[in-house]
Amino acid sequence: MTLTAVLIREGKIRATNSTFIFWDLLYPLGYLLVFGLGMTASMGFTVGLPGVDYNAFFLAGVLGMASFGIASNTSWSFFLDRDNGIFYEMLTYPLSRSQYLLGKVLFNVLVALVQALITVGLSAALLDVSIRPEGIPLLLVATVVGTAGWFFFYAIFALWIRRNDAFNTITSVFYFVLLFASSMFYPLEPLPAAIRIAARANPITWHVDVLRYATIGIGDARLIVWESIAFMAFTLAAFLVAVRSLEREG
Amino acid sequence: MSDVAIRVDHLCKVYRGKGTAAIRAVDDLSFSVKRGSIFGLLGPNGAGKTTTLRVLTTRARPTSGTAHVLGHDVVRAPLEVRKRIGVVIQEQAAELLLSVRDNLLTYARFHASSGPAVRARADDVMEQFGLADSADRKVQDLSGGIRRRVQVAKMFMVDVPVIFLDEFSTGMDPILKRAVMALLRTQAAEGRTIVLTTQILTEAEELCDDILIINNGRQVARGDLHALKMLTDRLYDVSLTFERVPDDVMTVIEGYRPARVSVAHNTVQLRMKDEESRVLALVSALATRGHLLRIEINGASLEDVFVEITGKGATT
Repeated sequence: MTLTAVLIREGKIRATNSTFIFWDLLYPLGYLLVFGLGMTASMGFTVGLPGVDYNAFFLAGVLGMASFGIASNTSWSFFLDRDNGIFYEMLTYPLSRSQYLLGKVLFNVLVALVQALITVGLSAALLDVSIRPEGIPLLLVATVVGTAGWFFFYAIFALWIRRNDAFNTITSVFYFVLLFASSMFYPLEPLPAAIRIAARANPITWHVDVLRYATIGIGDARLIVWESIAFMAFTLAAFLVAVRSLEREG
Repeated sequence: MSDVAIRVDHLCKVYRGKGTAAIRAVDDLSFSVKRGSIFGLLGPNGAGKTTTLRVLTTRARPTSGTAHVLGHDVVRAPLEVRKRIGVVIQEQAAELLLSVRDNLLTYARFHASSGPAVRARADDVMEQFGLADSADRKVQDLSGGIRRRVQVAKMFMVDVPVIFLDEFSTGMDPILKRAVMALLRTQAAEGRTIVLTTQILTEAEELCDDILIINNGRQVARGDLHALKMLTDRLYDVSLTFERVPDDVMTVIEGYRPARVSVAHNTVQLRMKDEESRVLALVSALATRGHLLRIEINGASLEDVFVEITGKGATT
């Protein structure tokens, strides 16, 4: 019941701005259409794998970026709630700190799932990306865990940092470092060793590799298993630290 | 079932900031609150009232000591405590992007209340708080005073047994404040326990069955209004209205050494800290000097008590 209460609250707040929902649902596809098609057309970019063009390769990157973006936007709501004072009142509501965090991410996980299905469906229909139907369940799980994991990660910083301009700087750094030092935009193999090692240690790479395996089936299955385990451990650790951070609030 | 709703034992809360001296906001505070009573927590700014409420509402962990709400420890069973309380925090708190109605319904939903009965209750509450006309307006479009109404109105959407109100009347107009105070009295009579902090002492004077005055995190006085007023025994406010103020009035008054005296138009106001017989003697002496139209003698108000004991730091 309490999780539902948080879910409905988040949904009602988000529903007050329909542009926001439209943007959340369709921006990954827009990114794929503009950036993916542009890269392929202007630079003839290929990933060196038979039957896989850049749009197919970039699809997982776009899905990973969407989860990352939703998580970042959701964590911003801590600042809004603090400014409204409702954050402090909610800490006296009959729900545990972990329920508070889970409820907050639940609505956004649902948005991420719808967004992923729309993006995958339209990329198959409009861009001729060949999607593996048997990978859909893994895609859904990866979207749920990915969105939650990144939200918990961002929540730690949103709860510790009281100034939203400082939080803005942190998120900008994360966008720049985590997204580009990963397998989101390009395969890792041709990269310089230092960047390749950094990318291998980057949870974005773990997340995107799983999404790529789920959607178009490329990647080493054993590595994907390890990356899945690593990302789940990252999500659990981020959740526990976020709960601790929330417990020291008030 | 215990008669005690809240029990606080040797509660301490120390805030330690980076590079700043530790602040002992609450210092060895012990008290209990009876079920169904209206309990006032009073004190000057920075006395520790809000910190005490933050501990009782599970927003802050005590440094030492214990606190129980309806038998549940605020540290060991915070969720059990939160299931039984409603809180109006000192800061303004509302879902600004939602309508007034959605604010009430959202609050009720968190307390596991939804459905047609709750919607009907929301209508009643909005009527009581003068919010019916703004029911479907977003709270961000309403004035600060109305936002505060919404915040307080939420408490009446659920039947939690204990309510904490931190400066609840901030921004309320006098008519609504009276109505809310009447509602609070009704709720207490029905068995709800109400804990409030306030800077407006007349509010506490009108509402509270039991008052705790704290200063520097420690208890300085405790009791009902009558008991507290006894603490400033021999303090009288005298007001005498003459047809025409006698010329030698100040000469007579000075002999009785009042704590304060003022003359405005045809009224003389005095504060005496003296024996009752001396106060009456002064009034008699002045009555012989001119034609008195009105005499008023009052004992100490809660405000007098407050100023007196928070100034001295006395303990009872």
